[in-house]
Amino acid sequence: MFILDIVSSALLIAGVFFGLTGAVGLFKFPDFFTRIHAASVTDSVAAILIIGGLLLQTSFDLNTAKLLFILAFLLITSPTASHALAKSARHGGLLCLAETTNKPTDERPHD
Amino acid sequence: MMHIGKWALLLSIFWLLLSGYIQPLLLSLGAVSIALVLVVVKRMDRVDQVPKRISSGLALFRYLGWLFIQIFISSAHVSKLVWRRDRKLSPVLAEISVQNIKPSNRVLYANSITLTPGTLSVDLDDNVVTVHALQATSVDELKQGVMENKITSIWGKNT
Repeated sequence: MFILDIVSSALLIAGVFFGLTGAVGLFKFPDFFTRIHAASVTDSVAAILIIGGLLLQTSFDLNTAKLLFILAFLLITSPTASHALAKSARHGGLLCLAETTNKPTDERPHD
Repeated sequence: MMHIGKWALLLSIFWLLLSGYIQPLLLSLGAVSIALVLVVVKRMDRVDQVPKRISSGLALFRYLGWLFIQIFISSAHVSKLVWRRDRKLSPVLAEISVQNIKPSNRVLYANSITLTPGTLSVDLDDNVVTVHALQATSVDELKQGVMENKITSIWGKNT
């Protein structure tokens, strides 16, 4: 039990670190698309680590199953949400950093 | 008919795991809701013509194990970019062909790209996925097709 507690706290602390990294990156990165990358650190690895840490705190009963469901649904919905955001930004005519530095800004990438 | 039975089993397990109560009232409520879903699935199949089959999850678990490792590697990479003082970001947009991947696996591919930090699928057309990446090197890795080969080796190639 003692070892499980240590592993679980290590996972939780690592998860918190990556969550914080995502938040800091959200402020530090220069434009919309790069900020989505920062947020996706929180979305994917922080979620996996924190739920993994919580899994070890359960007594392997129904709560374990529920946590696994949460993880499964997070892994499906969060990339879908990021994709939806990026796609609508792109179709709305927002240029990414590489394009704004090389091309005149009044040009739209897609129809 | 066979796959309706499979759905019934899957949904019953799902309900039992979520509720955890073995009381007549709650069990009957569960049965009613499962029956409702099955009726909808049956009617949708008639419209859709392509019944959604349930495959065994073993292949998916093999893929997920590999994907988690990739997620850890690329998160460490992006975290380094976040905490470093001199930001050397060179965001690029690139188009990557998905012709080799079965249409039913393309969403999985696009979602895996988004799920690994550092790459983001912006658009999924017929045969190409538009990818935005923090660094040009991660686009090169995608073009080498490691992730693509992983998917095609588990679920087969598009013919």
